[in-house]
Amino acid sequence: MPATLRWLGRRLILAAFVVFGAATAAFAAMNLMPGDPVLTILGSTNPTPALIAQVRSDLGYDEPFAVRYAEFLGRLVHGDLGQSYQLREPVTEVITGQLLPTAELALTAFVLALAVAAVLAVTTAGRRPAVRRVVSALELLTTSSPGFWIGILLLTFLSFRIHLFPAAGGDGVNGLVLPAITLALGMTGVFSQVLRAGLERALEEPYALTARARGTGETAVRTRHALRHALIPVLTLSGWALGTLLSGAVVVETVFGRRGIGRVMATAVIGRDVPTVTGVVIVSAVFFTLINILVDGLYRVIDPRLRQEKA
Amino acid sequence: MHNHTAGSVIALCAVLLAGTAACSSSDGDSKTATGKPVSGGTLTYALTQEPDCLDPAVSPMQATAIVNRNIFDSLVSLDSDGKFHPALAEKWAVSPDGTTYTFTLKKGVVFHDGTPFDATAVKATLDHVVDPKTKSYYAASLISVYRGAKVVDASTVEVKIAAPTAPFLQALSTAYLGIQSPKALTRDAAQQCQSPVGTGPFQVSAWEKKSSIKLTRNPAYAWAPPTAGHTGPALLDGLTFQFIPENSARLGALTSGQVNGVDGVQPADVAQVKGSGSLQLLRADSPGTAYSLYLNAKKAPFSDEKVRIAFQRSLNLDVLIKSVYFGQYARAWSPLSPTTLGYDPSTVGTWAYDPTLSNKLLDEAGWATRDSEGYRTKDGKRLSLYWPYTPLFATDSRTILGQGIQADAKKVGIDLKYTSVDVGQLQKDVLTGASDLYSTSYVRAEPDILRFFFASDQTADKGGGNAFHFSAPDVDGWLKAATGSSDDAVRKTNYANVQKYVLEHALVVPTYVPSYLAGVSKKVHDVKFDPSAYPVFYDAWLEH
Repeated sequence: MPATLRWLGRRLILAAFVVFGAATAAFAAMNLMPGDPVLTILGSTNPTPALIAQVRSDLGYDEPFAVRYAEFLGRLVHGDLGQSYQLREPVTEVITGQLLPTAELALTAFVLALAVAAVLAVTTAGRRPAVRRVVSALELLTTSSPGFWIGILLLTFLSFRIHLFPAAGGDGVNGLVLPAITLALGMTGVFSQVLRAGLERALEEPYALTARARGTGETAVRTRHALRHALIPVLTLSGWALGTLLSGAVVVETVFGRRGIGRVMATAVIGRDVPTVTGVVIVSAVFFTLINILVDGLYRVIDPRLRQEKA
Repeated sequence: MHNHTAGSVIALCAVLLAGTAACSSSDGDSKTATGKPVSGGTLTYALTQEPDCLDPAVSPMQATAIVNRNIFDSLVSLDSDGKFHPALAEKWAVSPDGTTYTFTLKKGVVFHDGTPFDATAVKATLDHVVDPKTKSYYAASLISVYRGAKVVDASTVEVKIAAPTAPFLQALSTAYLGIQSPKALTRDAAQQCQSPVGTGPFQVSAWEKKSSIKLTRNPAYAWAPPTAGHTGPALLDGLTFQFIPENSARLGALTSGQVNGVDGVQPADVAQVKGSGSLQLLRADSPGTAYSLYLNAKKAPFSDEKVRIAFQRSLNLDVLIKSVYFGQYARAWSPLSPTTLGYDPSTVGTWAYDPTLSNKLLDEAGWATRDSEGYRTKDGKRLSLYWPYTPLFATDSRTILGQGIQADAKKVGIDLKYTSVDVGQLQKDVLTGASDLYSTSYVRAEPDILRFFFASDQTADKGGGNAFHFSAPDVDGWLKAATGSSDDAVRKTNYANVQKYVLEHALVVPTYVPSYLAGVSKKVHDVKFDPSAYPVFYDAWLEH
C-alpha cells in the first residue's frame, strides 16, 4: 500500500506541473497573440480614450509581461481565476455554472460509445470477413465524419422532420440524446476497433480454449472471458477519450445550442476574453490530469503486475 | 466588430425611406381573416447571438439592443422619417446656443422595481453611462458630448452638452440610452448585467446563460410612445429569446415549429421561408453604412487616385451582389445606406462598372507592363494590394463576396491579396496602416456615422473609425457644419457633399446594403421594426 501512496504522490506532483504548464501556455498564447489586446477586446465599437485607458489598467496591460504573469500566478494559487471581461462575472462562477451540462454530455457520450463498441466488437470479432469489413468501414466513416455535419443530419431527420427531439437547448434527457449520439459516434469507431483487436487476441489465448473445452457457449466465452481482457487497452484509452470528448463538446454544444463549457470557450475566444479562456484551459487541464491519474490507478487495480513491479 | 450598434426607439414600420425597408406584413399575408389583435401567449424568438451583458450602458451588441428595447424606454422616440416624438420626456426645449436640453418628464411612470421615474433617474442613468467604472463599450461614445445633468424639480431635468450636436437626440432615442432605475443602478456590475431594471413593456424574469432570456409582461405599462401601434400593456404574456448560433439549426427550429421566429435568415434560405405555407419573411434594410471597402490613400499604390478609381471601377458589383446574395441584398452606391437620413440618392450610377476605364487609368498611372501571371507591374514591382479579413466577422457570406471582388480586380491586372488573419492581426494591420483595404459595415440610424469614418479627428487612436487617417479640410468642414446644425436641409446638403467627395475620390467602395432578415410563423402578427431595423415586440401578438 505505501507503494501505491508513493505512486499517487508522485503523480499528483506531476499533475501540478502539467496544470502549471497548461496555465502558462494559455496565458502566454493569449498575451503574445498579435495586436493590441485592449483594442481587440473593445473592437471597433468606438471606444473613448478614457475607456481604453480604464480597460488597460483593469486588465493590467499597463504593466510589463513578467509582472502580469506573476500576478496571474499569485491569483491562481489562491484559486482565483480573475474576472470575465465580457460577462462581468468571476470566471470561477462562469465555469461552475456551465460545467454540469458539459460533464453530463461527455459522460453520456462516453458510456454510449463504449456500450455500442462492445456490442459491435463482441458480435463481429473473428467472424466472417464480409461482416467484419462492412462494420469496420462503417466505423471508419463515423470516426472520420465531422461532428457538426453528423449533428445537422441528426437534427434534420429527428428534430426538423420528425419532432422527436428539440432543435436547440433542452437540458433534460430529451435534449441530451442527439448531442450525445453525435459526440459518441466519433469515439465508437475507435473503441470498437481497439476492442475487436483485443478480443481476437484473447480468443486465441489458452484460457479461451479451456473455457470452450469445458463446454462454455461461444457468447459466454466472449462476454465473460475474452471481453474482460480486451477492455484493458480501452481503459488506457479512456483518459485520452474523455479529453477528446471535452474538446468535441465545443462543436457539439454550438450546433445544438446547448449550454456548457464548450460554448463559453467558443464565445470567449472570439471576444478575446483572456481570463475566461485561461480559466477554461486550467479547469480542463485539472480534469484531464485527474482522469488520467484515476485511469492509471484503475489500471493498477485491474492488472496486479503493475503494483508489484515497483514494490 | 461590425453590426454592433445603435438600436433605436419603437417606431412605425420603416417603409418610408427609399421604399426599401418593409413592415412585417409586406412579405407574407400576415393579415389573416381574424385580423384582430388578441392578448396572451409567449413568443419564442431565436437569436444568433447571446448578449454579453444586459446593462444597456455597457454592451455594444446588436442582440443586447434587440432584447433591451423591450425592457427600456428612452427619453424620446424616433420615427422612420427622422422625426422625434415624446417618450419618457413629454416635451423638450433646446437653449438658443444649442448646449442645454430641458426635458419635461412624464408623470406616473414606474420602474419594474417600483421606483418612480423622475428627473433623478434621468441624471443617474446618464451619469452611469459616462462613469469610467461602467466601462461602457458603446453608449458612452454616443453621448461623448454630455457634460452633466441638473435636476430642476421631480419632472424637469436640464442636460448640458459640450457643443451644439444634432445627433444627440438620436443617441438618446436608442435602447443603449434606455432610462434605468436609480435604485437598481446602486447594485454591483454583475447584477446590473444579469437583470437591469427599466420602465419598458417587458421585464426580465430569468436569464439562463447560453440558453435563453425570459421576459414577462409589465402589467402596469401605460406610457407607450406615440410611435407604437397601441397603448397599455404589451399583448404577449411573455417573450423568450433563445440563442441558437448554428444557422441551419436555427432555421430548422423555425420550420419545424419549435420557435415562433428567428433572426439571421441566410439569403440562401430566403426562398425556403417564403415558399413555406406557414412562415413569412420579415426584412428591413439596416441604416448606417453599407458593407464598404475603405481604401488606404496614405500609402502607395492607393496614394495615387487613378489607381483607386481604377480599382473602384473594376468591380462588377451588380452581378456579384446578385449572385452571392440570391437577390436578397441591394447593391450599394453610397457608403450611407438608403434607409439612413441624409442618404444621397444622386450617387446611384455615378461609378458604374467600367473595366475599360480601369485599364486606361492604370496604364496612365504607370502600371502599364504585365508579368507572367497577368498582373500589372511598375519598375519591376507587381500591383499588389493587401486586404486582411477575419473569418469570425465574415458573416453574410462576405468571404465569397471578397473572392468575387478579388477575381474582378485580377481581370484588370490588380493582385488583391484577400487574406484571412486572426482578429488581433487584423486590428494591427489596419491600425498601423499596413493594409491597403479595410472592410466593414455599421448600423446606426444617423448620418453622423459618416463623421466616424471620414473626419480627420476620428482616427482609431481617438476611438473613431477613420482607420487610414484620411484627412480633407473640405470633408471636415461639411461634417462639422452638419453636426452643428439642427436644420435638416442644411445637414442633408452637407452630408450629400461628403458622400459625393469620398466616392469621386474613390476613398470608399460601397458593396451591399445589409438587411435584417427574420423568419416568423404566420401566426405571429405585428412585429415591427425600429429605425435601426431591429424588431420590436411591443405590438406583437400570437394567433391562438
